[in-house]
Amino acid sequence: MDEQFQEDWLDRRLREEMPYIDDEGFTAAVVQKLPAAQAPGSYRAAILIGLTLLASVIAYFLSDGGRFFVVAAYRLAGMPLFFISFVAICGTLIATAAGASAALAQTRDTR
Amino acid sequence: MPLHDADLVARVLVDDDHHAFAELVRNHQSAVRGLLRQLTRSDFALADDLAQETFLRAYKNMQSFRGEAKFSTWLYRIAYNCFREDARKRKELVGIDESQLAAEQDPQTVDPALKHDLMHALQLLPLHERSAILLCCQNGLSHDEAARVLDIPLGTVKTNVLRGREKLKKTLAVWKTD
Repeated sequence: MDEQFQEDWLDRRLREEMPYIDDEGFTAAVVQKLPAAQAPGSYRAAILIGLTLLASVIAYFLSDGGRFFVVAAYRLAGMPLFFISFVAICGTLIATAAGASAALAQTRDTR
Repeated sequence: MPLHDADLVARVLVDDDHHAFAELVRNHQSAVRGLLRQLTRSDFALADDLAQETFLRAYKNMQSFRGEAKFSTWLYRIAYNCFREDARKRKELVGIDESQLAAEQDPQTVDPALKHDLMHALQLLPLHERSAILLCCQNGLSHDEAARVLDIPLGTVKTNVLRGREKLKKTLAVWKTD
């Protein structure tokens, strides 16, 4: 009982003796060191979509109405299934490895 | 109406909102600086430098905060890691300095003016016990949360808290009888 009382007393004293530290310009100093703010997310998304559409239109006209795409699709259809599967699996593995290494690097930063 | 940490974090992530991040810093600066002041044995300048580094690192890695733990717990973990990295650089990790270690074990060597001061008694504890006591007893983290912050097993946290408490009680009792 006495032991429990002492523990409670100790915890209470520890909490009470933790003074509130006034900011005194600390937050301003941190914010000043932040990298410059990027454009808002929605603004960035609009720019990206706009540029993608513009690039698609230019590519369409420069490639004779996207004829190269039809040719490539025919060529792909003529390839053996084994080769297409092999390329797809390799691509997936490379993308997974790149994603995993990026995630690991991110975790290491916070450790 | 004050915004919750989760809302502020979302604003930082989506809009890179510096005002939202400033609000997070304002909300947590006292606890983080207080913890670091205790860990650095009241070296206020070093503690504030480490606190700045903590918040800058938090900003840089905000996308890795998944909301599984409280934002404050995540911040404490970054702060503790900043402190450890700095201590390693300065070769001042507790246990390396033998004279300091001896002083830690002998509460009689303390300046009489500082006796009866609980916070000073806390500073006499070795780092592993001090950090466990600070997080669990002072900052109100659960043993599980403290284990995550300190990156040690749950059982070790419980042991460190228990031993730290015992030593604090003994130190205060010794000072009382002086």
